[in-house]
Amino acid sequence: MRDEELVALSQQGDRHCFEILVRRYMEKAYHIAFNFTRDSETAKDLSQDAFLRAYANLKQFNGRSSFYTWFYRIVVNLCLDHARRHRRVAWESLDRMSEEPAEQRQLADSSYAPEEQALAGEAKRRVNETLETMPKKQRAAFLLRNHQGLSIADVAKVMKTTEGTVRVYLHRAVAALRQSLVEFV
Amino acid sequence: MKNSAPLETACKQYEEDLVLHYYGENGDNERRRVEQHLTSCHSCRRFLGDLQRVLPQMAGAEEMPQAFWDNYYRETVSKLAEQEERKFWWRSLFNPMRTWMAPAFGTVAVAVLVVGLVIGKGNLRLFVEPRGESIPREILADQNQLEFFESMDMLEALDRLENQDDQKTDTTNGESNRAELPGVVA
Repeated sequence: MRDEELVALSQQGDRHCFEILVRRYMEKAYHIAFNFTRDSETAKDLSQDAFLRAYANLKQFNGRSSFYTWFYRIVVNLCLDHARRHRRVAWESLDRMSEEPAEQRQLADSSYAPEEQALAGEAKRRVNETLETMPKKQRAAFLLRNHQGLSIADVAKVMKTTEGTVRVYLHRAVAALRQSLVEFV
Repeated sequence: MKNSAPLETACKQYEEDLVLHYYGENGDNERRRVEQHLTSCHSCRRFLGDLQRVLPQMAGAEEMPQAFWDNYYRETVSKLAEQEERKFWWRSLFNPMRTWMAPAFGTVAVAVLVVGLVIGKGNLRLFVEPRGESIPREILADQNQLEFFESMDMLEALDRLENQDDQKTDTTNGESNRAELPGVVA
């Protein structure tokens, strides 16, 4: 069943149809929230809250945009709001890989090279720092395009802005990340 | 990130186009222009290569086990149900499963009705006869008194009619007497 049909039935009070939408979008919702918060529990809470809000306000969804852009907007707004309330975000969890015991990494990666892994860990830390210090909307645009694979047109719809603005955000984000890696080496 | 080499600096005027090119977001003309430039510009080729190497690694999402997603789904569905229950709490009162509720509601409704009627009746009496402002019994007109006054009015009206008749008779008699006496002419 297509999203539009499920939404229409959910608007009539069929919760089971909305539960199908939950199953369809839960991974994406969780990953968006995780990219913003870098904390699994917070990401779970935020993305679940997004589903609850979407269901409570489903009657306001008029179908002018697709369900997923409307829903992504709820997720992104919750994440931006969360970021505003918790200025320091725990980005360190992304470094879990670099913090794993050496033996585990050695086993997991056949092309294991300690020096390269150390550099990779450091580079990842710098990337995360750069993302953290980035303006929130710039970061949102970058995460939605790069991490979630949304088109620029969809990112613009989610962020309620123009495609031109998203292009600028994206370019600035990539430029900042490039700069952080140049400094790193 | 296995290769941590720095990202190559690209030509300034092509940098944004290269980012869009990487994401496949530029139009046909722009794409052709960038591709043409790439054939002759080593720096931009390196820059694009770095984007292709670094950006996908940043996007790598942490794989979660299926148990996590099952639990996530169950929790979300449960929260949705709770939210709906809070929104439509009154529906639970009419839940067919709660069969004992119907007679209980009926009894309560009858009791409320009886109490309401009793209290309402008392209030009505109080309204008709407000306490502390009782009218003296002497003044209160009962049915007999009303009939008495009505008959009195009627008798008085008859008296008045009789008097009027008497006055008319007297006047007529006086005029006839004057006509009989010839000396009394005005």
